[in-house]
Amino acid sequence: MARKSRSYNENVPFSLTSMMDMMTIILVFMIKNIDAEGQLVTQAENLILPVSTSRVQPKEVSLTVIVDNNYVLVDNGKVITTKEVLDQEELLIPMVDSVLKERRQTEKEHALRMGLPADEPGNIIVQIDKNIPYDAMYKVMATCGFSGYTNIAFAVSMKNAGEE
Amino acid sequence: MAKEIKKPAPPEEPDLLPAMGLFTILIPMLLSMTAFQKLAIVEVNLPERSLMNMQDEPPPEPDQQSLNLSLAITSDYMVIGARGGFQPNVFFKEMWTFRCKSDAQLITHAAEDVKASVEAGKGPKCKDGVEMDVEKYMYEIETIELWAYEKTSEEDPGRVIWAIYSSQGENVPDSAFVDGNNEFLALTGEGNLGLTPPPALKKPGAGVAVATLAENSARKLKPEDAARNIIYPLSAYDLIAKDLIAIHTQFIDLDDADNIIVVANDDTQFDKIISLMDRAKASGFIKVNLAKLGG
Repeated sequence: MARKSRSYNENVPFSLTSMMDMMTIILVFMIKNIDAEGQLVTQAENLILPVSTSRVQPKEVSLTVIVDNNYVLVDNGKVITTKEVLDQEELLIPMVDSVLKERRQTEKEHALRMGLPADEPGNIIVQIDKNIPYDAMYKVMATCGFSGYTNIAFAVSMKNAGEE
Repeated sequence: MAKEIKKPAPPEEPDLLPAMGLFTILIPMLLSMTAFQKLAIVEVNLPERSLMNMQDEPPPEPDQQSLNLSLAITSDYMVIGARGGFQPNVFFKEMWTFRCKSDAQLITHAAEDVKASVEAGKGPKCKDGVEMDVEKYMYEIETIELWAYEKTSEEDPGRVIWAIYSSQGENVPDSAFVDGNNEFLALTGEGNLGLTPPPALKKPGAGVAVATLAENSARKLKPEDAARNIIYPLSAYDLIAKDLIAIHTQFIDLDDADNIIVVANDDTQFDKIISLMDRAKASGFIKVNLAKLGG
């Protein structure tokens, strides 16, 4: 006896309901995870920040100095190699100092134009690779202070950030 | 004539295509805005003597009524100093955990062994036997741990102190437990350099009251928490944190009770500085200054 072949209805509509369910779950998950305040600091490339228990968030966008394995960067512009910083004896890094002083002057002029006090200490965020020696970090920090950026903060990776 | 029963029409599915279009736009947008790693900042006070060093001026005389607390870290010990005196050294062995690119496995080496190997022209070895790049191995360190050592003298090689830790992940220590007298649940290890956990050190079971160094942390262990506890080398950071908490509590009335100077060697990694600053701030020393050892 010939086996009866199963007939298929050719007009079956494409059901999007299951896809909608999946999309809804993803959307709710993403909205839950989104940081409504945004990030005022973004991690630089080529470095790993140390993990810290700090929960302090920067209050405003500040100038960023980056110290990675290869370079010291001010506002994403390469200024000097990290090796040169480590090799020098002096505390002050002249090349970084001149760039920072220029930036500080611009900030002061901008503050004056806006009618804000120009003599307030400058804010700076320093992103340093966790394996960079203290010597380089100390020289960069001292140079920042010497250039007028005395409110210094280190960027760190928040420990257990997902548990909030 | 029998009335014909009208067959109900099959329910129409709503047109979901516009909603799908909206979702398809929303999801990539949210995905681009999601922060997978949250960043924070650690504020620091400027190095106290940076300008003075440039001018070769001597440091000012310390105020005898102040605490003048400092925390120094060298390559093998940490020490707390105050009012011209020092507490006993907290000895440690620095351990580096690497994540190897060749096998994606974690491997822990003693820092001094790695340095000796590198001096001989060989990079640290992975579990699969592959050597890391001698030039770049430093930047592949995933975690730096300072295992507390018990030493009777400078010449004594010391023995590892083992403690009970709570754990979030698999064999990853979180907080060390203390007993009712605020002493760590810890014992010195056995065998060569105390690398074998002491059998006498038992993990507390469910229902046992424990606490950590954090305030108001005393609690009775739940069965699921008790199962996650691990025996792990006591961190020198925890030993220092315990002392710092005691000092801050004792000298809370002094003007500089919230100040601490972290002093370090030139080659101390930034990671260790941040860990010390974290412990200092958690102990109540919110104003952290940095200085160089011998600077």
